[in-house]
Amino acid sequence: MNTLETLKDILSEEFDLQRDQITPDAELAALGVDSLDLLELMFKIEDRYKLSIRDDIPTTLTTVNDVVVFVDGLLAHTREATGADDTDLHASQ
Amino acid sequence: MMRRRVAVTGLGVMVSSGQCVAALMENLAAGRSAVRRLAQGSFAPLRSPIGAPVDGDLSVHFENSRVRMLDRVSQLALVAAAEAVADAKLELPTAGSERCGVSVGTGMGGAATTDEGYHTIYAQRSDRVKPFTVLASMTNAAASWIGIDYGIRGPNLTYSTACSSSAVAVGEAARRIWSGEADVMIAGGTEAPLTYGVLRAWEAMRTIASQDPVDPAASCRPFAKTRSGLVLGEGAAFVVLEEWNRAIARGAAIHAELTGYGLVSDTTHITRPSVQAQAAAMRAALDCARLDPGAIDYINAHGTATLQNDVVETAAIKEVFGKRAYQLPVSSTKSMHGHLLGAAGALEFVISVACMQRRLIPPTMHLDAPDPECDLDYVADRSRSGCALGAVMSNSFAFGGTNAVLIAERADQRHRD
Repeated sequence: MNTLETLKDILSEEFDLQRDQITPDAELAALGVDSLDLLELMFKIEDRYKLSIRDDIPTTLTTVNDVVVFVDGLLAHTREATGADDTDLHASQ
Repeated sequence: MMRRRVAVTGLGVMVSSGQCVAALMENLAAGRSAVRRLAQGSFAPLRSPIGAPVDGDLSVHFENSRVRMLDRVSQLALVAAAEAVADAKLELPTAGSERCGVSVGTGMGGAATTDEGYHTIYAQRSDRVKPFTVLASMTNAAASWIGIDYGIRGPNLTYSTACSSSAVAVGEAARRIWSGEADVMIAGGTEAPLTYGVLRAWEAMRTIASQDPVDPAASCRPFAKTRSGLVLGEGAAFVVLEEWNRAIARGAAIHAELTGYGLVSDTTHITRPSVQAQAAAMRAALDCARLDPGAIDYINAHGTATLQNDVVETAAIKEVFGKRAYQLPVSSTKSMHGHLLGAAGALEFVISVACMQRRLIPPTMHLDAPDPECDLDYVADRSRSGCALGAVMSNSFAFGGTNAVLIAERADQRHRD
């Protein structure tokens, strides 16, 4: 499953949003996801991917796609660090 | 200048003994106890794993996006407050909502969230504390959510005076209406103490009742010779208080008039109560209501079933009411719904008002053999119906010494002209 689909899962389950609202271009604020919700979202992402988001969450995340790019970057970084391939990381959800 | 009058126009509860006022009163009239053995395995190590929990999944009342921000203590409060607001048929938010306020009592706030956070840090050795931990556990969260939900822009206050917290919250709310600072107050209390950590702490103080070996529901035995302590319960109870003329003008149904609030603190010891301070609190409430002791027809006692409280409260009632104390029905409904700590005062005030409307005196259950030092009419084991109650008193005494007493009178009881 790709990152966008995983985000759709989390946002529809936890934030009472419809899947078709969650497009790459959709702005988080327009979806009702405020800065505190974003922290909660990252918490759920950590759970799904068994990631640890040590760095500060950038304040420039404004759209769904920004979050996808940020998470994909973390996944790539983790892959390099652990030697796991992408399938392993998605499978560990 | 004549004091303004406080009408009670809404009642709401979410407690073990009933998830609405009607159900609660039916269970109390029937003498049904909601105390039971706590089922979850995590409670197994407790010496006495008993309590009075609220059944069912509270999260069904809230959207997913909201439920993670709400500790159980706020969920209970919001459900109970919603019943009170609906009962009062209040349209909120209303124009002039800065003249409306929220007043909530709670002893421990979001205890489950705090417990969970510490479990994460110290037991799991993890740093993954949930982002909403502060917002869910802060003591004023329940009051804040009520204010947000109903757009109430006046004073939003939280009182934490242990077991009298919500009697204080209701009394202080009434004072704001009496004084002219507010016209409508949503007042009450909430508590969700049935977590392992909280139960352990209470048990460590040796104040929790032993589980009755035959019937766990009969473990809380106020005024009985065999009483062994309190049983913790969870839940919330709220009232809508409204300036009398405003309530009349909008055609509200008035359940009762709140006429007395007495607040006298005990300075003898952090836990040990004194006859003198409890009696003084009752006298202060009578003075506030401008009533003689003879006018009170029923007392909902603090009646925790601890060794200390029941004897001292009995003596204090005798001190205030003299010989008449022996003819005055006094009962402790904690025998059925347990001790709701910060929510106890509001719950018992709601019960007192609802009893007056129903001409009902609720029983003290499990009182087959009273303590010889407890020799009043505790309405043992059976409720009484058809009782004309003109004025009722609800006692709330607390660790830390903040003793609060509330008095309500029948809505048609008097006309202060």
